[in-house]
Amino acid sequence: MAHLWPIGGGKGGSGKSFLTSSLGRLSAELGKKTLVIDLDLGSANLHTLVGVPYPQKGLSDFIRKKISRLEDAVVETPQANLFLISGAHDNFDIANLPYEQKIKTLRAITKLKYERILLDLGAGTSFNTLDFFLISQNGIFITTPEPTSVENVYRLIRAIYFRRIRYCFNASQFKALESETDRQFGNGAMNKPIYMMKMIAKTDVEKYRQLQEEFGAYRFKLVINQVRKHDNTALGLQMSRMMERHLGLHVEFAGNVAYDDHVHDAICQQVCFLERYSYTKTAGDLREVGKQVVHATGRQLMLHYM
Amino acid sequence: MQKGFDQLTYYEMLDIRPDAAPFEVRHAYNAALSMYQPGALASYSFFSEEERQEILSLIETAYRTLISDQARREYDEELIRRGELDVRPEAPPPPKKTAPCFDISRAPVVKAVFNPLPDYRDRIRQSELIGGILAKGELRGADLKQIRTELGVAVEQIAKETKIRRDHLLNMEEDRIARLPATVFLKGFVKSYLKCLCVEPVEELSARYMKTVSSRSPS
Ligand SMILES: Nc1ncnc2c1ncn2[C@@H]1O[C@H](COP(=O)(O)OP(=O)(O)O)[C@@H](O)[C@H]1O
Ligand SMILES: [Mg+2]
Repeated sequence: MAHLWPIGGGKGGSGKSFLTSSLGRLSAELGKKTLVIDLDLGSANLHTLVGVPYPQKGLSDFIRKKISRLEDAVVETPQANLFLISGAHDNFDIANLPYEQKIKTLRAITKLKYERILLDLGAGTSFNTLDFFLISQNGIFITTPEPTSVENVYRLIRAIYFRRIRYCFNASQFKALESETDRQFGNGAMNKPIYMMKMIAKTDVEKYRQLQEEFGAYRFKLVINQVRKHDNTALGLQMSRMMERHLGLHVEFAGNVAYDDHVHDAICQQVCFLERYSYTKTAGDLREVGKQVVHATGRQLMLHYM
Repeated sequence: MQKGFDQLTYYEMLDIRPDAAPFEVRHAYNAALSMYQPGALASYSFFSEEERQEILSLIETAYRTLISDQARREYDEELIRRGELDVRPEAPPPPKKTAPCFDISRAPVVKAVFNPLPDYRDRIRQSELIGGILAKGELRGADLKQIRTELGVAVEQIAKETKIRRDHLLNMEEDRIARLPATVFLKGFVKSYLKCLCVEPVEELSARYMKTVSSRSPS
């Protein structure tokens, strides 16, 4: 079964697509049959970064039932072993993907015959984005060292936490749980997920244990991208510490990726950054992150709750 | 269950072992501040303002307790009574101290975002406004703030330079008397503040500030 790495977080522009394409390429270079999927349907551009400016088909054909099997939506890239399911030609947001379509897509993704699959998720915290992120326990968060981007990562993590709790209850149970938490711990508490868990601990020990186990099994990773000379290099470790300590979530810091103007140059020239500028610190950082990521240990699939 | 921060022991709050040496306590304290201080990127948007204040004040208490021999001993005894700390074996006699060859700085490796502050003495001498402030019989927090802004220095810069928490500095500058730290700390704080801006004479001015504060506190 394929190893799946959803990549999300940060803001638009933090480097999700750049990271996805880079990790995809590094994996392909190792001889692993690798697929990258563009799920940032509103602003798809992964195809451009993997050297396929005009993909002939893509996810939209599968969703609109023009193609019945997802593997038929795959296109090749100039890089050996690297394949793409493009998100181009889609003028709707992933947030609007109907539930049945989403489940169908999720199922189809997990059945694809690739050794490694990387998902480029859009920014934002729509349920669909969360569900694609939760398809595996190896999600990768990416952020830049800026408050706005950090804020978005924390927002996404909280949303994921909520979403996971939500799977355990039916709608009315969840509603009751939420309002009871508000009542006991005050509305708008930032660490509401923790308070909610405290409530569950009191009311339903069995569910509580199950969730604890589930959260404990995540092997999320965190990458800090576009790190400049004067940025605090300890940020990633500190964020990981924050999440461990205050949310009980294990999010391993996978490395800093330096900012480099050559990234922009490579994209403009439509050449692969890792190849053209392989000697840069940024390229070295990406290779390090690549090593970190392939050593993922979490269980791969967790579709059982759907 | 994930313990709430307020349920951790002081050692756990600072993320150190119960036998940590004082320099480790200091280091851990600075590391904690760099994570939880208002404005710290790592905790940006993570807490509400109240949650953050609560955590910071717990960290402050933890630090003050563990850095003082006496207070730490009492706290350890309390932990032992509560069964949260094993009785420590009698400490071996301290090894003979050798003279340090190197002056290794134990300061944490917090990357300085600002350049070290320049020597302001000339500018202070030339400033009529600062001259006027220093000529007065009392020295309030508001005066400190005026001197600082006259020199064009940000509170954050002073916080970096002196390692004093930003909210302490703000409480000082805004003369929020009730929120000021204990006298022993305050005295040190105001001295560091003055030194870092090159405002002289430090001893005399800090004494003047302390006198001004005590004359205005309600006691
Ligand atoms: N490490 C980096 N150094 C310099 N620029 C970068 C780096 N990573 C990304 N960028 C720039 O950021 C832009 C946005 O990246 P992209 O991967 O498209 O973001 P996202 O998919 O998160 O919206 C890229 O076009 C590139 O110019
Ligand atoms: Mg993108």
